[in-house]
Amino acid sequence: MNDILGRIFSAGTFQQMLRSATPVALAAIGGSMTEHAGIMNIGMDGMILMGAFFAVLGSFLFQSAMAGLALTLGVGLIVGLFFALLVVKFKSDEFIIGCALNTFALGLTGYLSDSVFGASGAKGNPSLLVVRLPFLRKIPFIGTVLNGQSILVWVTVVLMVIMWVFVYKTPHGFWLRASGEKPETLRTAGISPERMKWIASILCGLFCALAGAYLSLGQLSGTFSKGMSNSRGYIAFACVIFAAAHPGKAYLAALMFGFFDAIGMRLQAYVSSELTQMIPYIITILMMIYVVVRQNNRRRAPRKLQGMAKS
Amino acid sequence: MKKLFAILLALVLVIGVFAGCAKQTPNGETGDVQTPTLDGQGEPAPADTNAAGGSATSGDAADEGDATEDDVPVGASDLTLALVVAGSFGDRSFYDSSKQGVERLAADQGLKTISIECNNENHDAQMRNAADQADIVVCVGWEFYEIESIAPEYPDVHWIWIDNATEAPVENVLNITYAQNEGSFLAGYIAAAMSKSGVVGAVGGEDSDTINDFIVGYRQGAAAFSADTKVVVNYAGTYDDPAKGKECAFALNDQGADVIFQIASATGDGVFEAADERGFYAIGVDSDQKYINDDVIICSMKKEVGNSIYDAVVAFLNGDDSRWGTTWVADMSNGYVGIGYGEEGAQQQVSDEIKAAVEELAGKIMSGEIKVDTTR
Repeated sequence: MNDILGRIFSAGTFQQMLRSATPVALAAIGGSMTEHAGIMNIGMDGMILMGAFFAVLGSFLFQSAMAGLALTLGVGLIVGLFFALLVVKFKSDEFIIGCALNTFALGLTGYLSDSVFGASGAKGNPSLLVVRLPFLRKIPFIGTVLNGQSILVWVTVVLMVIMWVFVYKTPHGFWLRASGEKPETLRTAGISPERMKWIASILCGLFCALAGAYLSLGQLSGTFSKGMSNSRGYIAFACVIFAAAHPGKAYLAALMFGFFDAIGMRLQAYVSSELTQMIPYIITILMMIYVVVRQNNRRRAPRKLQGMAKS
Repeated sequence: MKKLFAILLALVLVIGVFAGCAKQTPNGETGDVQTPTLDGQGEPAPADTNAAGGSATSGDAADEGDATEDDVPVGASDLTLALVVAGSFGDRSFYDSSKQGVERLAADQGLKTISIECNNENHDAQMRNAADQADIVVCVGWEFYEIESIAPEYPDVHWIWIDNATEAPVENVLNITYAQNEGSFLAGYIAAAMSKSGVVGAVGGEDSDTINDFIVGYRQGAAAFSADTKVVVNYAGTYDDPAKGKECAFALNDQGADVIFQIASATGDGVFEAADERGFYAIGVDSDQKYINDDVIICSMKKEVGNSIYDAVVAFLNGDDSRWGTTWVADMSNGYVGIGYGEEGAQQQVSDEIKAAVEELAGKIMSGEIKVDTTR
């Protein structure tokens, strides 16, 4: 038993927790912005997939990971603008647009990948910097866990804090939340809720692009494979709902998913893989039960969430 | 008005998806697409023909039979062959191997070919789509269960189902299954022989019979080298998530495995990356994958999907359709399963002694002296 526990709670587990959590966390922070603005964004999976592809494309074309990052952020910006154009400007159903975005991304990236890289796909392009700090090496366990992670793992933590401050401590963050909860009140105050929704969509596009870039250039060394986002966008969406769109809590929720992902992989040595693969979904259900219970207890969550719980 | 515009835009988005769904690939000269284009020649020239074909048919490709047909060599057969794969190309393994076989058919036999990627959905619709356009339909992947009911609806079409078999024989379906357990036995032996820690690993795409057929053989082979060898296995649960494959390999490496066999299509690319990063060995699958990274990939368990399709179709073109209605097990004795050590000049890690031992074991398997377990 001790042997099993030792294996499950090894440094490798926590390393993997950070690696697996980072793309989900980045997307969840972006999704928090749209959630606050009252947009139910289920298109994050497609945004991540496009982010992953264009990061590799930039890295391949310019043989530089930074160029890949720049290209993917540019595309993320366009995707965010496009999403806002449809959802905010034309007031289309965000659910349909999100679905369409996911399938569109799958088709577009698969098609472009075939055209640019040929049938074999893109592998082994320049990838992002890996941070190795000498002083960390001296700390047992924690040093092993934190050392050798991609720079984006660290950037994610910084971004999480920035967005936390942005949402809860700045006027813009206040307007952002108001644009989702009480748009008419915000309009009376002379601020356009639509403008805040545009900003939220663009931020979400950028964060999802980063999530994709981490996946293909951080976790992997410049590799793209069709459909590689593998539902991470939906997991991120679950994190957003669970955290009531709080960036910090969303990050923690993503860490939890990463943790159980890592545990599940190691538990396969003892129980059937079919059971361990259910873990993320069981966690999701437990999270949602928690969300419903929380809403019944104190009706403070954004209006959007209550609407969803009823349906 | 604005709403209308929004609906139209959404429609364009949705339709755009079909461009990727059922892409038609012209035959013949696209052979060089197979080679990885990492050598700096960033021109997308060979695939441009695909681009034209794909976007031109971006409508309801599942309903219309507008295949892109290239010029065929003079005196060629006027038959059309459709290759339908359950996932998508670019795995440098199972699906790409089938594509190479079909490309050879196009080049040598002058068949017109069409390629359809299902991207893990709409298998039935794509089978019908293919049968509407072609005389021979090759379905690659265990997922095409409905072939049993669809094939009889197209009695003039000759079907080939790769990697699985119909419950009862269907007159116009040729099932080809592979003795992957036999090849995996050898891979397990090599892994155990190359391991310093005495622990070897395998990353499976999912916990299914076909994948487990590899794994039982692998376990048995590892035990054949030394009964003390420990085999650790995990399943990624997906075939197209290399990041997950990399984590699977790390998890096995944490448990001490220093040789890891990947049986997970594109997910397995992550296994090779993990091996490169941590400095352990990996074993490729289906195609001879040594060229991907000859520092860490010591050998590959070859499952010659392409060759088996090629040989079956050539026999058919020569008037022999006796195989249809049966299940053909392509195994080691007829050369469709085996171990590949890469092309000539590739860096070799496996010593000649081990290779000789593997040869001997292969002989024993073929003669029936060694019985390899199977889940088929």
